[in-house]
Amino acid sequence: MLSRHAEDLFWAGRYLERAEDTARLLDVTYHGLLEGGGSDAPMALQEVLDALHLSSAFRSRHRKVTAAAVEQFLVLDESHSSSIVAAISRARENGRNVREHLSTELWEALNTTYLDLRAEGRAEELAAHPHEFYRRVRSRCQLVAGAASETMARRDAWRFLLLGRLVERAEMTCRLLRVRAPRANGDDAHDDIHYWLVMLNAVSALESYARRFGAEITPARVLEFLVLAPDFPRSVLFCLRGIETQLGGLEGGVAAPALRRALSRIRAELEYQDVAELLDRGAVAALERTRRGIAEISERIESCYFANGPIPERHVYEAV
Amino acid sequence: MLTSDRLSYERALGFDEAVDAQCRPRPHYAALFEEMARLSAAELASRERLRDAIFQRLGITFAVYGDAGGLERTWPMDLVPRIIPAGEWAIVERGLAQRVKALNLFLDDLYTGEAAALRDGIVPRRLVLSSEGFVRAAVGIRVPHGARCLVAGIDLVRDADGTYRVLEDNLRVPSGISYVLENRAALTRVMPALSALHRIRPVHHYAASLLASLQSIAPRAVGSNPRVVVLTPGIFNSAYFEHAFLARQLGAELVEGRDLLVENHTVYARTTQGLERVDVIYRRVDDAFIDPAVFRPDSMLGVPGLMGALRAGNVGLANSLGCGVADDKAIYPYVPALIRYYLGEDAILPNVDTYLLWEDDQREAALARLDQLVIKPVAASGGYGIVIGPQATDEQLEICRKEIECDPRAWIAQELVQLSSHPTFVDGRLEPRHIDLRPFVLAGERITVIPGGLTRVALRRGSFVVNSSQGGGSKDTWVLAGPEGG
Repeated sequence: MLSRHAEDLFWAGRYLERAEDTARLLDVTYHGLLEGGGSDAPMALQEVLDALHLSSAFRSRHRKVTAAAVEQFLVLDESHSSSIVAAISRARENGRNVREHLSTELWEALNTTYLDLRAEGRAEELAAHPHEFYRRVRSRCQLVAGAASETMARRDAWRFLLLGRLVERAEMTCRLLRVRAPRANGDDAHDDIHYWLVMLNAVSALESYARRFGAEITPARVLEFLVLAPDFPRSVLFCLRGIETQLGGLEGGVAAPALRRALSRIRAELEYQDVAELLDRGAVAALERTRRGIAEISERIESCYFANGPIPERHVYEAV
Repeated sequence: MLTSDRLSYERALGFDEAVDAQCRPRPHYAALFEEMARLSAAELASRERLRDAIFQRLGITFAVYGDAGGLERTWPMDLVPRIIPAGEWAIVERGLAQRVKALNLFLDDLYTGEAAALRDGIVPRRLVLSSEGFVRAAVGIRVPHGARCLVAGIDLVRDADGTYRVLEDNLRVPSGISYVLENRAALTRVMPALSALHRIRPVHHYAASLLASLQSIAPRAVGSNPRVVVLTPGIFNSAYFEHAFLARQLGAELVEGRDLLVENHTVYARTTQGLERVDVIYRRVDDAFIDPAVFRPDSMLGVPGLMGALRAGNVGLANSLGCGVADDKAIYPYVPALIRYYLGEDAILPNVDTYLLWEDDQREAALARLDQLVIKPVAASGGYGIVIGPQATDEQLEICRKEIECDPRAWIAQELVQLSSHPTFVDGRLEPRHIDLRPFVLAGERITVIPGGLTRVALRRGSFVVNSSQGGGSKDTWVLAGPEGG
């Protein structure tokens, strides 16, 4: 498929995932604050901004970290590409650019999601019933993902869309954990159980976690689950394996060697990782290394498939 | 006046498509009126909401340049379809095929023939040479089957007698076919009972016909499955929705100029698997922008080197370059003569009576009664720049007169056609609104006419301006199958 289209689809996937993850994160943070008594509000909100790498962007627009300001900034503010509304707008704009590659049902889901989030009264709804609002974003994004999964042929358009989602999700999970990780082996780790619970909730992992480890929540197990669970669709390892599968399935065969190497390296590192060791050596550094690895994969996907530079002779299609 | 419990309709001046002079429903509209009369006001409103929701959900929109209100507007379709009986359509269909055939012969004669029509004085040579649509660089470029204008949109109107007349030819990049297909899909969903009462000729085979036509102009060496792409100026073009729609239906890539490159006079697309050869380009980019190396160097929309690939015969282009000379409004008055010249037949569909302002006596006659005529710039499309005499101010007419005297070649004047009207829902009531019709004709190995076409509606009472860029609406257009009334 056209490089430009592949790029648009990849980024549509990333933006969709970004909108969904941001909604999840804000939802659990908001309710976590309510349940936890609310005294830690500025710190929890600051953690959200840090996780999204948006602290400085936020500070250039708002003076104080308040719940209302963070919400406005991460949900409705369209002056940067990471707010929920901006991400959905861009996903839809990208979808419009590649409209002929999308099934009608997928486009409808994307377009109605966009229209729905911009309908009148959404700002009021967000203020009055934040949970309803975030739930709406989440289920809308899942509707889009479902429409893609159920109506798109397993060809490059679908694969690039999914690659975007997987890359964004893997990176987001790393970022979330990395913000929380400094507390993983501190003295008050067990007082912080509440926050690890919020974390699991944010990625819909609480139930799966409980089935695997039971109700007891420890930082080490949460880390293990969200990074290394081979069977949970939002764990980092699961996403990486998905990325490998999708790249392998692209028409024209296996990905470029450099991309494949980068991917195998980071996946192997995780697969042979021992959690106790990970905590000993410093979870922050390990997560940061993984996050950088994922960012590198994203860059290599871009240079390998989207760059419009000269292309090797052997790829030229010959007339028959 | 037609009345029933819930429905009343008062016809306007001129020809009404649905009722006769005594305001009785024409036979092929009888079922429609009955069905409409059964709709309560609330039911009608709910169906209009359903229609708007369908178009919104699908994102069926168009852009209006210079409109601050937003990038996209939802497509306006009236719930009352236009109905054309089979017998009436048979004549229109033959007339359209005849006209497009002759126009393509004319184009082939100009660009790869001996310009016989000019030599024999059918069309004045200077009109062709001074036409903005005449592309010198295209002389000598051959097109298989002579399908130079592969997709034509011929605008028809019906005069006060109900005679179909050609108002203008659109031979460059005519748009609107996607709305024909989407109107049909939407109306069938919103008014299923009404659709079921009629035997309507389908339109959804358009994409298959278009693909066959496009593949028929591929370079011969390519073989049986040529790669077709749709070339769009991009997302900011007013017809972008249609470009994406067609690409999707054709199963073709929707490319922009920057996605293509030319090497060794061969066109390639930049893909995730490297460069892949392109065999046929269905372009929706104007001539002047198509190859910045030959035409406008500032164009970002085209493909440098495309002309070389065309000359080498390595790629097919539809519509081919230079079709604009044949839809130049100054050439339009000569089309009936061209039909006679190339086909030896009389034109089945007459033109609208037109003054040739570059002929002294006709100019004098026209200037004497400008306030009764329609004055059109020869090179514009989309309804831009048109002056309607009876509705213009003295000042506007004076400006118009000066411009004509200054450059008579740049204008034509036509008799004002009292466009036919059609019942149209306006605020929940049926009112007459003026309409036209743009049928679509495909050339290639053979000529294909799509049944019906895009009916455009002037939504303001009494207005004759139907262009969607100027606030026009649309109607689904039904051509009935089989014998009339059947």
